[in-house]
Amino acid sequence: MFEIRQDGDYLRLKGRLDAAQAAGAESAFADITAGALLDMSALEYISSAGLGLLLKTHKRLMGQGAGLKLVEVNPHIADILHYSGFDRLFDVTREK
Amino acid sequence: MQISLERDINEIDRIVAATRAYFQDQQLPDSLVPTVDLATEELFVNMVRHGQAGDARIVLEMAPTEGGVAVTLIDTSSDPFDPRNVPDVDTQAPLNKREPGGLGLYLVNLLVSDIDYEFRDGTSRVTFHARTGERDV
Repeated sequence: MFEIRQDGDYLRLKGRLDAAQAAGAESAFADITAGALLDMSALEYISSAGLGLLLKTHKRLMGQGAGLKLVEVNPHIADILHYSGFDRLFDVTREK
Repeated sequence: MQISLERDINEIDRIVAATRAYFQDQQLPDSLVPTVDLATEELFVNMVRHGQAGDARIVLEMAPTEGGVAVTLIDTSSDPFDPRNVPDVDTQAPLNKREPGGLGLYLVNLLVSDIDYEFRDGTSRVTFHARTGERDV
């Protein structure tokens, strides 16, 4: 199960962003129209399908001047972001 | 452990549930779970999306090994496709050169060891090993 919802200044991601869930999350990411802070503290898992969704959204937003910032990233997701080279593309922090 | 899966990415939930139950039953280390989840999902999704259309099911097997687990996926309705032979992803490329796609099997090859692949009589069989002390995520 995957959820994305507004929580104050943050968009809070929760659950597992796997290939099955990423398909259903496409429209929620398409609704992001300006640079955004993604609270990843409750995101348990991400696969290449979820990474693709983050990349597609970030590229679209960066074309308008400001992309996604990933905050409170747990250690194993931080590793995946690193191995994917995403820590070079996104502003990634372990803390808020 | 062996389960039979439909050619449907919504089967990922069953894969995750079966993996959790197997890890608990075999008392396998939790540190291997993220790697096993990722590699199993990426290989399964690749079989679903790039295999032949049809009703043939995909079989998932897990077996304990010294210090870890061996995971096998068997597709009896496939074309030959060796997941070890995929193009590298340029992870140093700037944002304007990066495109979604291609990361799944790249990550599998990076994170797990001893990937074996066999194709015979229309059946693809891929096995990977996850062990403690390797590149856990």
